[in-house]
Amino acid sequence: MAAEKAQALVLRTTDWSETSRIATLWTREFGKVRALAKGGRRLKSNFENALDLLTHCRIVFLRKSSGSLDLLTEAQVVRRFPRLRSDLAALYAAYYVAELLESMTEEYDPHPLLFDAALELLDALGSPRVDEAPVVGPYVVRFELVLLREVGYSPALDGCASCGGPVDESRLAFSCAAGGLVCPNCVGQFRDRQSLSPAGRKMLRTLQQPAEDALRQPWEAGVRREVRQVLSQYVTYLLGRQPRLLPYLGS
Amino acid sequence: MDTEPVGAIGGLMRELGKLPGIGPKTAERLTHFLLGAKRSDVLALADALRAVKDEIRPCRQCCNLTEGDLCVLCADPRRDASVLCVVEQPRDLFALERSATYRGLYHVLHGRLAPLDGIGAEQLTIDKLLQRVRAGGVREVIMATNPTLEGDGTALYLASELAATGVRVTRLARGLPSGSGLEFANSQMLADALEGRRTF
Ligand SMILES: [Zn+2]
Ligand SMILES: [Zn+2]
Repeated sequence: MAAEKAQALVLRTTDWSETSRIATLWTREFGKVRALAKGGRRLKSNFENALDLLTHCRIVFLRKSSGSLDLLTEAQVVRRFPRLRSDLAALYAAYYVAELLESMTEEYDPHPLLFDAALELLDALGSPRVDEAPVVGPYVVRFELVLLREVGYSPALDGCASCGGPVDESRLAFSCAAGGLVCPNCVGQFRDRQSLSPAGRKMLRTLQQPAEDALRQPWEAGVRREVRQVLSQYVTYLLGRQPRLLPYLGS
Repeated sequence: MDTEPVGAIGGLMRELGKLPGIGPKTAERLTHFLLGAKRSDVLALADALRAVKDEIRPCRQCCNLTEGDLCVLCADPRRDASVLCVVEQPRDLFALERSATYRGLYHVLHGRLAPLDGIGAEQLTIDKLLQRVRAGGVREVIMATNPTLEGDGTALYLASELAATGVRVTRLARGLPSGSGLEFANSQMLADALEGRRTF
């Protein structure tokens, strides 16, 4: 039974008993971890504060042998994201990030880049900057593309996802089953195909790159909607069900 | 290995063991106490248990738990009906009533918006609250949902839904408890108190 230290984002907590609860944490060092927090429901404790949803905290936990729950022994707030409490679009985007992290990754499968991407979104949307209300869509798309790459389902946007050949620039077709764009030769095999405009493809490709200014580019609303629809269908396909937060999500 | 008690005695132990703060040992002790108690006392307990489930229902107006059509607060003409305080659970209402400073009425949501758990506006008494405010006569709605992300999110959602009505929407202040020292406050209470500071 080793004591581990980690940076974590709180994804979910469920009551376990009158005084304790189970926290699902997304750690930079270990990926998803579920741990029992004894006394985690006692008011006014620092513990209680750190376990509020989507808090960035530093934790210490005892890793148990397989079959029993890990035990959370310390949790300290590193930072929280106050704008999530005053901007519904930002709050729902952050909830969506929590849902994807919880449902699309396995326990003890670390992806530090994914942790950083989640933090980048929370920082951009959840920090108080009175002068600007960022458009949430591009931040969510950037996060989804990092997530998809990390779990091995990065959408093919350059060549055909099926045969690797060139795609028809004038009639782009995206298939969730193929895992990206498909060329005119292969398109017949994929009945779930949907059209994608060159501008939509450009937005996806640009946001696949890490450049920060891409997030604040004035993407046209119609293009943002199209990209949102394509990614929503792709994530729904991969997950086998519609994410709960999708209906709340703006583009 | 212990043999699990069966029949009526085992059933009672299992039921008592489901109560908060009651482990198997206590459940066993309570069971034996009840077995030895007077028949009339035990039946009075059984009747009281049945009554809370059969006779308690949500108040027609505020959704607080009550035995009648309207709860005692809604039925009290001395309460200020132009101010509504929105809480998550009846226990929050009881906590505010204990503070003995609030003279308005309440609205009990019976939960908070928790989209990650599939709890949306339809699962709460939000429609009823909006109807109540739109019907007129309300000048202020105080959001007293818990200061968690979900509680704050619920207040934010309600505030946006109520914006069109023109009613004043306020949020409970948070920060330091009166009568206590700074050194006893945790870091979040201090941060909240600084954020919510007021001019003298
Ligand atoms: Zn092809
Ligand atoms: Zn009432």
